[in-house]
Order: sequence, then C-alpha cells, then structure tokens
Amino acid sequence: MALFIYGTATNTGKGFFTAEDRRNFFLRGFPGNVWVVGNSEKGALWLAEKNGVEKTKAEAQAIVDAEVTAAQAAYDALPEDQKNRPGFNQRPTAITLP
Amino acid sequence: MTTYNELAGLRVNYLGSDPTLNTGNEGQVWYNSTSGTLKSLVQLKAWSAGSNMATARGALAGAGTQTAGLAFGSFNPTVTGTTEEYSGYTWSTGGTMNTSRGRLGGAGTQTAALAFGGFIPPTTGATEEYDGSTWTNNPTGLNTARERLAGAGTQTAGLAFGGVDTATTGATEEYNGSSWTSNPTGLATARSFLSGCGTQTAGLAFAGDAPSVPGNTAATEEYDGSSWTAGGNMVSAQNSLAAAGTQTNAIGFGGGAPTGFPSTGNGEQYDGTSWNRGPTMGTARYQLAGAGLASAALAMGGRTPTASAATEEFNSTIFSPATGAWASGGNLGTARRNIAGAGTQTAGLAFGGANQVSTIFYANTEEYDGSTWSPGGNMSTARRALGGTGIQTAGLAFGGLISPGPTTNATEEYNGSTWGPGGNLGTARSGVAGAGTQTAGLAFGGNVAPKNQTEEYDGTSWTTGGTLGTGRADLAGAGTQTSALAFGGEATTTTNATEEYDGSSWTAGGSMNTARQGLAGSGNQTAALAFAGSVTANTEEYNGSNWVSAPPMATGRTYLAGCGTQTAGLAFGGTVAGAVTAATEEWTGPQTTATASTLTTS
Repeated sequence: MALFIYGTATNTGKGFFTAEDRRNFFLRGFPGNVWVVGNSEKGALWLAEKNGVEKTKAEAQAIVDAEVTAAQAAYDALPEDQKNRPGFNQRPTAITLP
Repeated sequence: MTTYNELAGLRVNYLGSDPTLNTGNEGQVWYNSTSGTLKSLVQLKAWSAGSNMATARGALAGAGTQTAGLAFGSFNPTVTGTTEEYSGYTWSTGGTMNTSRGRLGGAGTQTAALAFGGFIPPTTGATEEYDGSTWTNNPTGLNTARERLAGAGTQTAGLAFGGVDTATTGATEEYNGSSWTSNPTGLATARSFLSGCGTQTAGLAFAGDAPSVPGNTAATEEYDGSSWTAGGNMVSAQNSLAAAGTQTNAIGFGGGAPTGFPSTGNGEQYDGTSWNRGPTMGTARYQLAGAGLASAALAMGGRTPTASAATEEFNSTIFSPATGAWASGGNLGTARRNIAGAGTQTAGLAFGGANQVSTIFYANTEEYDGSTWSPGGNMSTARRALGGTGIQTAGLAFGGLISPGPTTNATEEYNGSTWGPGGNLGTARSGVAGAGTQTAGLAFGGNVAPKNQTEEYDGTSWTTGGTLGTGRADLAGAGTQTSALAFGGEATTTTNATEEYDGSSWTAGGSMNTARQGLAGSGNQTAALAFAGSVTANTEEYNGSNWVSAPPMATGRTYLAGCGTQTAGLAFGGTVAGAVTAATEEWTGPQTTATASTLTTS
C-alpha cells in the first residue's frame, strides 16, 4: 500500500488543518496547493472534506514542478543586480515530493 | 516461527476508546483507534500546603470540598464550637456551633453541613445543621450518643457509624434531614477513631481502634444503604485518619499507630477493592479532618501531638501526553516574504515584506486575533527584511531594505492603529533580528559586515550593545532586551549557532539540530521555539541549554515571521519554493495533563 495520498486543496485558513489532524496523520503542503497526506482513513477523509482533488504522485509532482519552474523563470528574468541581494536567497530549486 | 503477537498478543492495547482513567489503569499504554493516538496514563499525586486555619485544633470534623471546605469543633487544645470556612486559598470565620465539642462526626458541604455526636464532655448525640453562616440545633439527636465516630453523606442524607458510647460500638444511623434512624445491622467490627466517607447508600468505613483486634484495625467495610460488607484491608492498621472521596475511590491520610502515637503522614488510596500506599503528607498528624474527593482532598488541623492549624491539599492529575502540533491559522491578506512580526498567537502583528521577486515592498500592517488577519495602519517606510518586536498595540519596526535597494536605519513605533517615528538605528541594516519591547528593544545581527552588531532601544534612541560571537543575518530572535536569544541565520555559511544575551554580552548556547537561515522564532531565552527557514518545515524547542526536535510545520518556508511563545507560537508569510505565501500556522505545545475530575468513573 502506498504511504501517501496526493491531492490539491485550497488552504482556506483557520481550521483547514487542525493540531489533531497533524497528530493523526502525515500532512505536508507544497507549491501549487499540493498536499501530501498520510495514506490512512483519516488522511483520505481530511482531503475529501477539504474538497481536495486527489492526484497521482506524478500529477502532483508535475504541478509542483510547474510552480517551481515559474518561480525560477521569474527569478531569471530579474536584472543581475537584483539577484542574490541580501535576504533574497538563491534561485528557487526543484522539489521532489515524498 | 512463533511471533511475539502469537505469544503475547498486541504489544500495545488497541482500543476504540480510552479505558477508565483510574488507578486500575495506571501505567497502561494504549492506542486509541478512534483518535489515532498513542496514549498513556500516569497519575501524578502530591500533597501541597494550603494556608493555616486561624485556630489550631485536633479532633475536629470536616465537610465540603477542597475549594469550599468547612472545619468545625475541636477537643484539643480545648473543646470548641469554632467553625472556619476554606475558599481554596484562605480561611475565614464561620458561625459557631451551639454545642461546643470535639471527636464529633461531620458530613455535607460548606453551605449545608451536618455535625453530630462528639464529646463535650459528656458524650453527646447532639445534631446541628449549618447553612453557610449559622448552625441550627436539631432537637432529635443521634439515637446512640457517642464520640470518636465517623460520618458520611449529606445534610439531608447523612450516615453516622462506629464510635464510643459506654463501649466501642458499630452502631449505624441514617439521617433524613430531620431525624436519625438506627440500622440494626451495624459495622461488623465495632471501632472508634475510625474514618469514613462516601454517601448514605454507598458509605465506606476503615481503620480505627477495635477492641476485637485488640488495637488498631486495617479492616474496611462498605455500606450499601442497608448493610455493611467487608472490603479490602488497608496496608497499615491505623486509627484517627481523615478520609475523602467515595466508596470506590477513597483516600485515607494521616493517623496514628498504635493508638495515636506516633503521628503519621501516611496516605492510602482505595479503588473499591484494595488499598495502596499514597504520597505522604507534609505534616504528620492524627485526629485531623478531611474533605473533598480522592483526586482533590483537603486535610485540616489535627494533632502532632500538639494541636495543628496546618492545611494541606492533595491533588491527583492524569499525565496523558499529546505532542505539540501546528494547525492552520487565518491567511494573511497580503502574501509576502521577508516580513516582520510581533505579539502573540492571539494578538499578532505582521508588517512590511515584499512580493515574490522583491520588486514590490510593503508598508502595510495586519493584525491577528487568533482567527483572522485584519488591516492595521501603514508604516511610513515600505520595506522588507526588517526587524520587529513588541506587541500588537506597541510594536517596533527597525531597519530593512527599502526600494529600490538601499538599507535603512529607520525605526517606527506602532500604537495599535498608527505608526509613528522612533529613533534611528545606529547602523542601517537588513536581515536583522529583534527581541524585547517597544521601550526596551534589542536589534542584533544583519547584513552589515561583520554582521555582529547589537543595539538597545529605550523607546527613544538606540545605543550600542555587546557584539554577537557569530556575526550573521537572516537569523531569528526571542526574549527580552536583557535576556535574549539569537539562533540560526547566514554567517559565512548557514549556521545552527545559538547565543544568549544578558543585557551586555552574548555567550554561546546549545546549537540547533538543523542549520538554517530565514527562519522564525518565538518564546524567551529559556523556552524558545525555532521554526522553518532554509525551505525546511523543521521545528525545534530550546530549554535554555539544548534544542530538541518537535513536529514540523505543514508547509516548509523561508523568510517568514513568527511571534508568541514556546507553547503558543504563530508563523506567517514567507516564501515556498520561490513563491510567496499568505499561510499562517499556529503552534500548540505539548499537552501533558488532564483535569483530575476525569479520574473518577465509578
């Protein structure tokens, strides 16, 4: 059985996930409103209750990749003197979903 | 091959709901399949001192609860009818009994108490009812006048048992609010100086001086409203203990063996079947009075052998740990990075910051109420990578980068609605950390070589403080101007170094487990929280010496802001893989106790 469920859901703010949710199942947020959820009854129920759209891991990874690519493009488009300014960090790097 | 499961079953109990939270399950560990959590039950039991009674006395009676107790009568040093009422904090004088006496029985509550029997001298059967201010005689006293007896129940359903009239007796009588009725079936073991608690239909008698032994008895008897049956024997035969609780969850404390000497502070607990040793009282004594529950008992007066005014409170709480966790909070109105923060989890302040590629700098402020962010006043200088500290109604913003790029030394002060100018930093810088308050602030680190400057703010101007041992920018800070903490950041490389400030100099603290920059923090020098930074979601807790890992945030990020405490932190904004976020997360620290009221489930 797969360890995780992948999906997209919009973080609606307070109550979107609770401390009890965090204690009950794995939950991580990624760019593109992608959420990786522990593959359990509670995790699946959470994604459904949040009007989440379940994705395959490949689909979820593609969404994250697109977001990172867009952020990299925005960074690359900056004038050279704007890059690597204090407190700006480096070019966004790729993210591999668990 | 035989497995552990086949031999011993599941390694941890798999239960659909929590078991009964009483002593019978103490030490148990189980998995609650409904909540999906691993739980354990450990009871923490201890006596603690309360305030002394005004009148030191022994052989008194008690009633009520731990937070609304009643002490009345005495035999030592003199026979009195003195009454005192306990609030949980202090004693105050109540109405005096009409018949002064000691070695009496008591029952009921602080505002509906019952006094019966005792020794004037001579031995008496007098009964009085207390209404919270005045004792009223009931002309029909006990059928069997006696002293050294025990009582249980309420003012309208009382129970008297044992004691001494002309001889030691097991006589039992029930009170209905107007008169006593003798039950021909008395205690199996006649005794005096015994202890009792519970109700008229579920009473408990234990210990005492029994001629049939002869001497002190460990025997326990349970009353069902009509007859007494044997319960489990106490660990130690004693007399003159006090009692609290119910027939199935009782506590006996103090006492003497043999026959009053030496006085003891022993405690024993009864679960309806058997007695076990409990914690020892602070003041050993006998002929004291007790009240309350087995999980929240009250000990009053007694003899050591001299008369004592000491009060002690017994509490038993359940240790049922739950880990700390991050939960979602309300989203910021403006998603942004390199933001500053101040305040608490339920009164937070977010200000400044920039958009994804730092081409737009923000002056706007948002205020958090524990659920939602709402707009506050704008700073006069839009900036990012600034420092912040203070509270929602007295915030402080300093330094940062201003469009199109230079650093600023500008300081602004927030009053809960508008920003006003403050004194300028001595050194303009970005990536600076802050601690303290609006009138006693601290700025340290930042992107000016060698990144180690500290400045102290007095509400008007900044003055130079001690330099950081490890110069760095994009670090986090916590604490006060005279007790601050600096952790993480970008030195020559990303660092996990922690330093502690004492108001004049920085010294090394324990290193974080994960080096990171662009992180956030909350708390104080001896109880801090570090979270996120360098794209991680990692959380760590500092105890003044060491950092330990805690459950991570849901969304890892960098250049966020934080505020609050180690047990109630707030994280907001930042950048997630280059994109700015409006997401807020609220940290709730480990929860370790449940109320003692859940102990009794009989």
